[in-house]
Amino acid sequence: MTKYLYEKDLRPLKYNILVGPRQDRTVKAMADRLGVRRQVLRRHLIERLDMSNLENMPARWEVGCAAPASDDALADALGCELFVENIAVFTPSEMEAAYEKARDLVDDGAPLETAVKEGKKALKEVITS
Amino acid sequence: MKKTVDVSIPVGPVHPCWKEPVRIKCETRGEHVIGTEVELGYMKKGIERIMQGRPWQEVMFLAERVCGICSVVHNMVFIEAMETISEITPPPRAAYLRVVVNELDRMASHLIANFSYCYTIEHETLAMYLLNEREYVLDMLEMITGNRVNTAYMIPGGVRYDLREEDAATLRATLDRLEENLRRYTKMFAGGPLIALRSKGVGILTKEEALEAHAVGPTARASGIAVDCRSNHPTYQEIGFEPVVRTEGDNYARIMVRFEELMQSIGLIRRALAMMPEGPVRGGGECKGGKVRYSGEAPRGELTYFIRADRYGRVEEIAIQTPSIMNIDACTHYMLKGVISIADVTSTFISSDPCIACNER
Amino acid sequence: MTDLLQKLKNAVRSRSIHVAYVDTGSCNGCDIEVLACLSPRYDLEQYGIYVHNNPREADILLVIGCCTPQWEDKLKEVWEKIPEPKAAIAIGNCPVSGCVFNREGGYVNPPVSKHIPIAASVPGCPPRPTEIIRAVLSLAPTIFADYEEKKP
Repeated sequence: MTKYLYEKDLRPLKYNILVGPRQDRTVKAMADRLGVRRQVLRRHLIERLDMSNLENMPARWEVGCAAPASDDALADALGCELFVENIAVFTPSEMEAAYEKARDLVDDGAPLETAVKEGKKALKEVITS
Repeated sequence: MKKTVDVSIPVGPVHPCWKEPVRIKCETRGEHVIGTEVELGYMKKGIERIMQGRPWQEVMFLAERVCGICSVVHNMVFIEAMETISEITPPPRAAYLRVVVNELDRMASHLIANFSYCYTIEHETLAMYLLNEREYVLDMLEMITGNRVNTAYMIPGGVRYDLREEDAATLRATLDRLEENLRRYTKMFAGGPLIALRSKGVGILTKEEALEAHAVGPTARASGIAVDCRSNHPTYQEIGFEPVVRTEGDNYARIMVRFEELMQSIGLIRRALAMMPEGPVRGGGECKGGKVRYSGEAPRGELTYFIRADRYGRVEEIAIQTPSIMNIDACTHYMLKGVISIADVTSTFISSDPCIACNER
Repeated sequence: MTDLLQKLKNAVRSRSIHVAYVDTGSCNGCDIEVLACLSPRYDLEQYGIYVHNNPREADILLVIGCCTPQWEDKLKEVWEKIPEPKAAIAIGNCPVSGCVFNREGGYVNPPVSKHIPIAASVPGCPPRPTEIIRAVLSLAPTIFADYEEKKP
């Protein structure tokens, strides 16, 4: 991390933003979708996103959820667009790795649910690590 | 995630050009800005938490103190949300008076936004002209409502005071004067060669990026998205309303959209004054319980109130989504990335009309 | 001779006031009223007041807002950067009492006088620009006119 003059620990302030009613509901929806605990996801979000992103998270979530489905069902189920472009929970490379893993399973003939489960497991590891 | 960064330049929190404290850390390579991180928290007062569990009579005054620049629209959206819950319809004269006051507030807000931009690019003459025009708008606001800022003019089931006939005549005369002057200033801004150098092609926000960040208001309308909640409002539909849209998406377009909306507001007030029927301005009614999501158009864009009230009209849960949240995000994460020089960061940021008090509440 | 020079200095000092303002978490209403003082109608500069917003060149600090947690240390830093002689004026109800924000559940920590010494306050929500100008003008002579004679 670059060192700035007058730098301050922003984590409590970011937490204050995250416990706002709308943000709280969005975090709950995201945690349910990814299958992680809320508090763990909050810690991950505080590390990754800046304060303006956190404030805007509910609106971006709405836009992402309302986006029309693409022709790749697996990418939609994993939220490739949603969790990278709309809300930067994962970097493109992390998402790519999880997607590749799931894609391989589908190509080998596994059903979609199993592949999605496997992909989400990989994403969960990123969050909890 | 890691980028090659030459210097990280923090801008703010106390900055000569900014009215409000915010800190933007710009990661630069050479003179180019390649990434930004926003540090807020200087204005976090926790208004939503204070509002919870209070009766609407108290929340009404708290709501307009979310933002002092556009206090009328916060008042209006909260009251109309409560009216939607309680199924109260204001008398027709009150509905038109609301439009008049709201448009006056919008003019004051747009004038201060354009003043800030001109002041930031050091065109002080035009800035002072605009700031002086704002005083006349505030005079009108004071004449109708009794205060310059934080007016608390609207109440469930109507407005507090009626507009007298001689006041309406003063308002019409002031509007004529304002229109003449504003036409001159718009021409000054549109034709100024140095203004064009600082503004055209700087801080471009494309339509896709604006959609992604959910940009609203003049910021979105300058990028070619025709969103305006006023087109869904029944009184505005009666008056007749068409959003102003430009397609360039740069600083110049955003300021010009505001100039055009100033002219549009003058027209709306005139038509509202002409169409206003005679009658009472206070209908009365009782606030009831319920849940609602209500949107209105603030000067900066779509303002949404999520309210859950109990049967005595006490606010149990409230969430406010102000337009600045989306616009600051769109500005800092998309517009500033393409900025050629660090000198344009402040003017680009100001051109999106950021309101930190709205953003953090 | 020194007396004359001193008199000249005093006169000049109390008629050339540089002002910086700092917003410590208000609703923006008072900010805008301070900005409105700049407009040609009120014309701050005819009284020799110049709004600068740079603490290192300022004489008077206008404090707006009810002091949020981020400002607790930073406000002191801004205050220390202002060269002597200096004074702080609280604009609006917020720095005096916290106004509507000083309730259960809020994050604010008023009054501002806990953090820096306040010389005068202009209550109002928000105060009118004329009141702000009047406060600055009536404070300036008492603080700056005989600053060097008062100094021990």
